[in-house]
Amino acid sequence: MKTSKPDSATAAKSDVVIDTHNISRVYNPDTIPVYAIRNVHLHIKRGEFTALVGPSGSGKTTLLNLIGGLDKPDQGRILINGTEITALSAGELIEFRLYNIGFVFQSFNLIPVLTAGENAEFIMLLQGKSKKERDARMKQLFREIDMEDKMDRRPGELSGGQQQRVAVARALASKPQFILADEPTANLDSKSASNLLDIMDKMNREENITFIFSTHDQRVIERARRVITLVDGEVASDTNVIDTSAPH
Amino acid sequence: MIFSLAWRNIWRNKARSLVIMISIALGLFAGVAVLALYEGMLKGRIRTVIDEETGHIQIHHPLFSDERESGYYIPNPDAVLKTAAQVPEIEQINIRTLANGMLSTSTGTAGVQVTGIDTLSEFRFSLLKQKIKEGTGFKPGKSYQAIIGQKLARKMKLETGSKMVLMFNDTGNNLVSCAFRISAIYQSSNARLDEKLVYTDRRELAELLGMPGQIQEIALKTKEDNQAEAAVSQLKSLLPGLKVESWKEISPETDFLAKTVDSYSNILIVIIMVALAFGILNTMLMAIMERSREIGMIAALGMSRFRIFSLVLMETVFLSMAGVPVGILLGWGTAAYFNKNGLDLSGMGEEMMSSFGFKTMIYPEFPAEKLFSVLSIVVVTTLISSLIPAFKAINMKPVENLKA
Repeated sequence: MKTSKPDSATAAKSDVVIDTHNISRVYNPDTIPVYAIRNVHLHIKRGEFTALVGPSGSGKTTLLNLIGGLDKPDQGRILINGTEITALSAGELIEFRLYNIGFVFQSFNLIPVLTAGENAEFIMLLQGKSKKERDARMKQLFREIDMEDKMDRRPGELSGGQQQRVAVARALASKPQFILADEPTANLDSKSASNLLDIMDKMNREENITFIFSTHDQRVIERARRVITLVDGEVASDTNVIDTSAPH
Repeated sequence: MIFSLAWRNIWRNKARSLVIMISIALGLFAGVAVLALYEGMLKGRIRTVIDEETGHIQIHHPLFSDERESGYYIPNPDAVLKTAAQVPEIEQINIRTLANGMLSTSTGTAGVQVTGIDTLSEFRFSLLKQKIKEGTGFKPGKSYQAIIGQKLARKMKLETGSKMVLMFNDTGNNLVSCAFRISAIYQSSNARLDEKLVYTDRRELAELLGMPGQIQEIALKTKEDNQAEAAVSQLKSLLPGLKVESWKEISPETDFLAKTVDSYSNILIVIIMVALAFGILNTMLMAIMERSREIGMIAALGMSRFRIFSLVLMETVFLSMAGVPVGILLGWGTAAYFNKNGLDLSGMGEEMMSSFGFKTMIYPEFPAEKLFSVLSIVVVTTLISSLIPAFKAINMKPVENLKA
């Protein structure tokens, strides 16, 4: 692998999925202000496989929350595919997330009373997709995550790795603009983590799905093709990893 | 999807959900059972008033009710009786001579209401014969006999065969007294009347009052209870110079009881449901707090506030409504059983029940006509108790709850 600085200036405007303009998030602004994120300026293009790294408290999860529309910056603007999400109302943001953003959480967060299949199609149900459409998509996704025979299992009957694969299927079900994954391998053993990364890597390469991870996990960092390092809420480094293993 | 998710969610903690469902079922059962008991007691009381005390309708001289003086008798009673008999709804007619008087014995005196009766007619009309506990009624061929209530007999230390003196004013306002021998002692379900009402022969009483052949009261029974008001209207127009009253006017306390028992029943159900509402509220708040991370997650994924609100609302409705049919069925079954076999409340104190005019054997009736209002109260209570958890759920911030 080789590394180089990303050339955002030359990025085609239409290729930019996530565009943050000097965003800052400050806690306790009236007493002792603590900058969780400070003046972060980022462009993430379609199809990137990006890892947000940095020590605990560096602002990785906060940045993911801001990009995912779960939190609002105190300063700056965030554009997702050209839509300024920082200007959206709470209700508009919920709908925006439903149609544009996929989430994978550290602790899987599947709904325990639903089966794996029902969990994965949950977002499609919220979107009002037809049963035919949902069934076809579920069949495809569960084949891709190699869990076709476990669609009717409840989360409690699945291993951690299997649960996280269902969470990935759920995030992908609605074909979002990008997927935000917060420490997706943190609760997995090596084999499950490797398996999960294989699936996400394959989807990224074959379907050009954009993934942004926050992670401490070296295995994830090694797979990432762009690594953004945050220190004290600021971008300390932003490196493109030239993947020599890529087929093109 | 929300429907299915809500239903599955209430079974996450089976024990907790079952406890609240059973509480609601038992609460509702208690409510329905008490309503059935009220209904049975009320209907029993109304039956007693109509069947044993007043009849459906009474006719008096317009001033008699205010003064209760014997001089206010019904003029031309034969014509009035003939008119009353022509009203098609009327089934039974009974005539009485009335006087307020004083009962005197060697042990003391008591104010009484002397009622002159035609034995056979009265026995049939007010079921007096069935109430007689000692003796058989007026003995044939004997004069100046009286039938008194058990409570009065005990108070005045009288028994069958004892003699007593009745004093009253005749129509000329002269004090008349006459010795009567007690031929029978009765006990009704109204202790107040038992202490007051003394029955004698109507003709003898009328003669003592100096108004032979006159009567103060015509009591009527209609074929059906609901015909009373129509018959009253007809009689009022046919007998403009007389006072025609329905049992509701003669016994206003019974009518008041009938009107207020509905309100009391609803208040009772509301009290039960308010108590249960706190149980529902507590259960739902616990469920929401336990699932705060999950609620944060579904909000993050894009589930709208309206849908989250509906989910919590639906869970609360399921939780509450699951116990409703069980409670109603239990209530219905219990009411049906005791309606057939009777519920003996003599253990609660026969005298106490009878002092309020109630029989000790109650036949509870399932309050089918009140079911809608009961269900409305349950639904409203459920919806109100779901509001706090539902608002709590929609105000959860995904960022904070996902950290939890």
